Amino acid sequence: MRPETPSAAMLSKAGDAAKVTALDPITVEVIGSALASIVDETGEALVRASYSTNIKERRDCSTALFDREGRTLCQAEHIPIHLGSFIEFVPKIMAEKDVDSLRPGDVFIGNDAYAGGGTHLPDIVLAEPIFVDGELAAWTVNLAHHSDFADRGHAHIYQEGLRIPPIRLYRAGEVQQDVLDLVLLNCQVPRERLSDLRAQMAANRVGVRRFQDLCAKHGKAVVLAAGDELLDYAERKMRAGIAALPDGTYRFEDIFDSIDLEESLPLAVEVTIAGEEVTLAFEAPPQVRAGINMTETALLATVYYIVKSVVDPTILPNSGLSRPIHVKAPKGSVLNCAHPAAVNGRVQTCQRVSDLILGALAGAVPDKVCACTNSACTVATFSGVRQDGPEKGNLWVYLETIGGGGGARPTADGLDGIHVHATNTSNLPVEALELEYPLILTRYELVDGSAGAGKYRGGMGLRRVYRATEDCVVRLDVSRFETASWGLGGGGAGGKSSIVFGPGVAPFSLGRGTLRAGEWFAISSPGGGGYGPAEERDTEAQVRDARDGIAFAPAGGA
Amino acid sequence: MGKWRVGVDSGGTFTDVCMFDETERKVRVWKVSSTPSDPSVGIAQGVEEGMREHAGVGAAQSPGAMISYLGHGTTVATNALIQLRGAKVGLITTEGFSDLLEIGRQKRPSLYDIFAEKPATLVPRHLRFGVAERLLHDGSVEVPLDEAAVRAAAEAMKAEGVEAVAICFLYAFVNPDHERRARAIVEEILPEAFLCASHEIAPEFREYERLSTATVNSYLGPIMHRYIRRLSVRLSDLGLAAAPHLTQSNGGVASFDAAARTPVRSVLSGPSTGVVAAEAIGAVAGYPDIITFDMGGTSSDVALMTGGQTTQANEAVVHGYPIKAPMLDINTVGAGGGSIAWIDTGGFLKVGPQSAGADPGPVCYGRGNEEPTVTDANIVLQVLNPTHILGGRLAVHRDLAVKAVERMAGRLGLGTMETAQGIISVVTANMARAIRVISIQRGYDPRDYVLMAFGGAGPLHAVRLAQELDIRRVLVPRNPGTLCALGLLLTDLRANFPVTRLTRLTADNIPVLQGALEEVAAEADQWFADEGIAETARRLILSIDIRYEGQNYELSVPVPEGDFDADALAEVIRRFEAEHQRMYGFTAEGEAINAVTFRAEALGLVEKAELPERPLGPAEAASAVSGSREVWYPETGAFTDSPIYDRERLSPGMEFAGPALVEQMDTTTLVPPGVQVRVDPFENLIMELP
Repeated sequence: MRPETPSAAMLSKAGDAAKVTALDPITVEVIGSALASIVDETGEALVRASYSTNIKERRDCSTALFDREGRTLCQAEHIPIHLGSFIEFVPKIMAEKDVDSLRPGDVFIGNDAYAGGGTHLPDIVLAEPIFVDGELAAWTVNLAHHSDFADRGHAHIYQEGLRIPPIRLYRAGEVQQDVLDLVLLNCQVPRERLSDLRAQMAANRVGVRRFQDLCAKHGKAVVLAAGDELLDYAERKMRAGIAALPDGTYRFEDIFDSIDLEESLPLAVEVTIAGEEVTLAFEAPPQVRAGINMTETALLATVYYIVKSVVDPTILPNSGLSRPIHVKAPKGSVLNCAHPAAVNGRVQTCQRVSDLILGALAGAVPDKVCACTNSACTVATFSGVRQDGPEKGNLWVYLETIGGGGGARPTADGLDGIHVHATNTSNLPVEALELEYPLILTRYELVDGSAGAGKYRGGMGLRRVYRATEDCVVRLDVSRFETASWGLGGGGAGGKSSIVFGPGVAPFSLGRGTLRAGEWFAISSPGGGGYGPAEERDTEAQVRDARDGIAFAPAGGA
Repeated sequence: MGKWRVGVDSGGTFTDVCMFDETERKVRVWKVSSTPSDPSVGIAQGVEEGMREHAGVGAAQSPGAMISYLGHGTTVATNALIQLRGAKVGLITTEGFSDLLEIGRQKRPSLYDIFAEKPATLVPRHLRFGVAERLLHDGSVEVPLDEAAVRAAAEAMKAEGVEAVAICFLYAFVNPDHERRARAIVEEILPEAFLCASHEIAPEFREYERLSTATVNSYLGPIMHRYIRRLSVRLSDLGLAAAPHLTQSNGGVASFDAAARTPVRSVLSGPSTGVVAAEAIGAVAGYPDIITFDMGGTSSDVALMTGGQTTQANEAVVHGYPIKAPMLDINTVGAGGGSIAWIDTGGFLKVGPQSAGADPGPVCYGRGNEEPTVTDANIVLQVLNPTHILGGRLAVHRDLAVKAVERMAGRLGLGTMETAQGIISVVTANMARAIRVISIQRGYDPRDYVLMAFGGAGPLHAVRLAQELDIRRVLVPRNPGTLCALGLLLTDLRANFPVTRLTRLTADNIPVLQGALEEVAAEADQWFADEGIAETARRLILSIDIRYEGQNYELSVPVPEGDFDADALAEVIRRFEAEHQRMYGFTAEGEAINAVTFRAEALGLVEKAELPERPLGPAEAASAVSGSREVWYPETGAFTDSPIYDRERLSPGMEFAGPALVEQMDTTTLVPPGVQVRVDPFENLIMELP
């Protein structure tokens, strides 16, 4: 797969930075700090001005700066998988549009997995070129997961929502009303979409202004040269980190089950560490008629995330870190899908792939990895029609993701009830949830019996119990019903997912069903695997387990 | 009797006593070593010695009798939270939610670091009890409170020997009946325990943050109670007749009784009094818009004030624990004089957050540390005195610092001086980032502000930081090292009363809005009465947290005085829209607007210390020069002779230009080439950048 972007040569004319030679590492560090401030600030602007619960409370969004060649310059520490939607977006624009036609105030919108490098359709990207002294200098980019396109089919991408290639939403500062109208008509909750898009616009405006200020302060040539150097710097750190790992080839296999799938899928990876470089070769079955397929960009974002976590978590999140990492996966497979595969639930697969890679790296550096996490991102989506109030007759959509157990570490228990790997969103406060949607949450708790046993135990999964106060459609994206999260070094497996339906609820099919007013169901996310043999657990921890009523997952999985 | 106002700031190393003589209108300072095992010992000693020294209290007299006001700042609560030495707490929640304290917002503590830990859960699972009860979002009762279950939980906690109990039910901020009843039952069974129900401490929506606040309050309650009891005894032994006060995170003070009930409101009080002093100095010196920069050995605290008012926050995460309490919006970054410089695997120079602390301290202390710190860089550049620092009390070894920086320079391929200056540049960038958070991220442009530098290292780095942020003016107060103790003499009694009542801002709802404002105002009135605040000293500020319907972050908008009528409503909406425009760059016309939380801020004005003003004298400053030193500046790229001004000899009206240094006992001020300095009537150094 491609290392960075194909467009480096294309824009060599923007190379006045080359004149600034031998920029000292201190200036670069100072500018790097300022760039990190900018993406933090755009992220804060996006969250604070947004309307939908998914962004304002759950923070399911990301911001980044890209350089003039379309390479990731700096990504805010939000959601790792969102990098997948970013890395191809700007290069696609630059490859397909006439770069000379770009104007200040142009804003591109897009979400498509095939025409725009997206990873699934709800993640809508807004990108704006930043001009300094009349020349393209960088891009400010952000992504918000719009809770929309609910209650859809997932046989292929055309069922999953509106596909938007990278197109101008604003042209030189003027909104393209026709485009906006078309997008909003295809959304189920257009009011929220409009408000969130407005917040995304506000965030980009901040990014443009701050980057221009930075160039005014240090000089454009210096800032651009520092950007190049920051990429080299991330590469150096990644290379140094990989070099410290023992050379060799490490293989790991797992079976991926999901509520979407009639049949489970075998997955495997072979990680080859050779000097300063690492190659990950995946084996996966052909893409399926379900939403769990991963685009190439989703796979790359997942790999970059997990390799950085294990090799050196402090490496700057820019595209330089990817240079010594090589990824291979069969085209048209579940892990590198081709048009028209459906991709909406790709996060389940990303999570499983993250643990797959961890499993392989455990062969190389068992003291730097954790046992298998819950490997899931348990998602519940509710939708319906407002029964009263000022919104009566309008559709409502509520999506939430539920954390699970973390894997036990070589030195400590796994974390309980957290989001792992490719995602990291907040829960929605019950007191906000019940105010905005016709749902009541009757329990939210750690799942007893879900922690994998071990010298260090796995983290516990989470249980949420929902009762509907109005009729609604429910869709669940869940995995790990069949296979449990594995332990390491003799540690036990974690508990599996489960769903319990209250009386009267009609059985769900492939995670989809309806809930009538007054009906309830409970969903439990999986626990994490343990690390080391349970017999070696220290006495104090055992006393604590007993006192706090922490039961372990039975051997072989529950 | 009674003519001295006394402020006591009890820190980890020193206890500072600041005394204001109401007759002579002068401020005096006394310093003693702190007594960490029982801080009240050092406090009493400091007050007694200070008063005997400065107030002429004779051996037979009790010093307390001459004190008309005593304000005290302590980090007892903060330290108990950081070191997890709080009380054994039991927790009662709505059934099904007893794990919420542990789950929090379900995010992991670090995005990439697999080994990062969540903050320790303050109540272990076996002491958390869910009881059947449930309210709905309008406050109506869906499941009545199971009183027997509350009783059983209290009995179980009693058997476990808990010292404190927190109670948090869903929607208690709308309807506190269940929490009140549960509290009464627990009180019957555990009459000695410290109790806190969530509606008492944070009657606002978002259950996890409210739960966390109530829990932290209970965790710290018994600690604060014991501390205050011990201290009260010592102060009455000194013959103190005036009611003593404790500082709060909001920059105000509270009576000992009130402070003992709400220790969670003091956990960020440490840096707050310095900011209060900065407010007062800015007000008299004529600078209402200030960014404060308080740099010490391990960290720096920054805050922003506009129009003389420091930005307030109503929520913060303190050492991993969300806390809903009124506080000054102070941002802390791990960058101080002791911060260690290092080269990472990518070959870049980094500074901090690791600190060499006081022991072994910087390389130049000669106590075995070989990794250069920010202080070492300043020693190498000779910005700091290369032989003795701290007013000559501490000998330093520049040669060791030079060797350490040289080693680093070799690896970076830079000169020694460039590397030393590089350490300063990197730590400056870290501090600038902290300031961007409280300014640019909140919609304020730092270029419109004056940077006020204090703390032991603030004046040393202030101009460099100002340059990084394009700030044009820097102010260094007369006594940068004791600003916190001074702040204790400049603050008012202050308490905040919030209530959440989600209401649309429409003319129809004026009675509801008015009612909510009256509700918080009535609570403030009760507080005025309880605290015995004279009618003339009472001030009440009402505000409403407002958002567009559907948004989630509110903007706090002050309410015009007088009845809340249609005009007031229109004005509130106008102010909200202006603030929204400023923060986010747009307004959403036609969208419904919601009031979320109504707040009363009650001030009990106290008579304050005055900052003495002196007439301006001649501009000539040569008489204040005590010597000179060669200092390396990036501006000159060489060692450049720089006069040293003695702060004690600088008087109002004097002017001089960089390159120069100003030395005083507790700090050194760096004046790089091109910077103009003048001394104002309050003896502040005002530095103008080119």
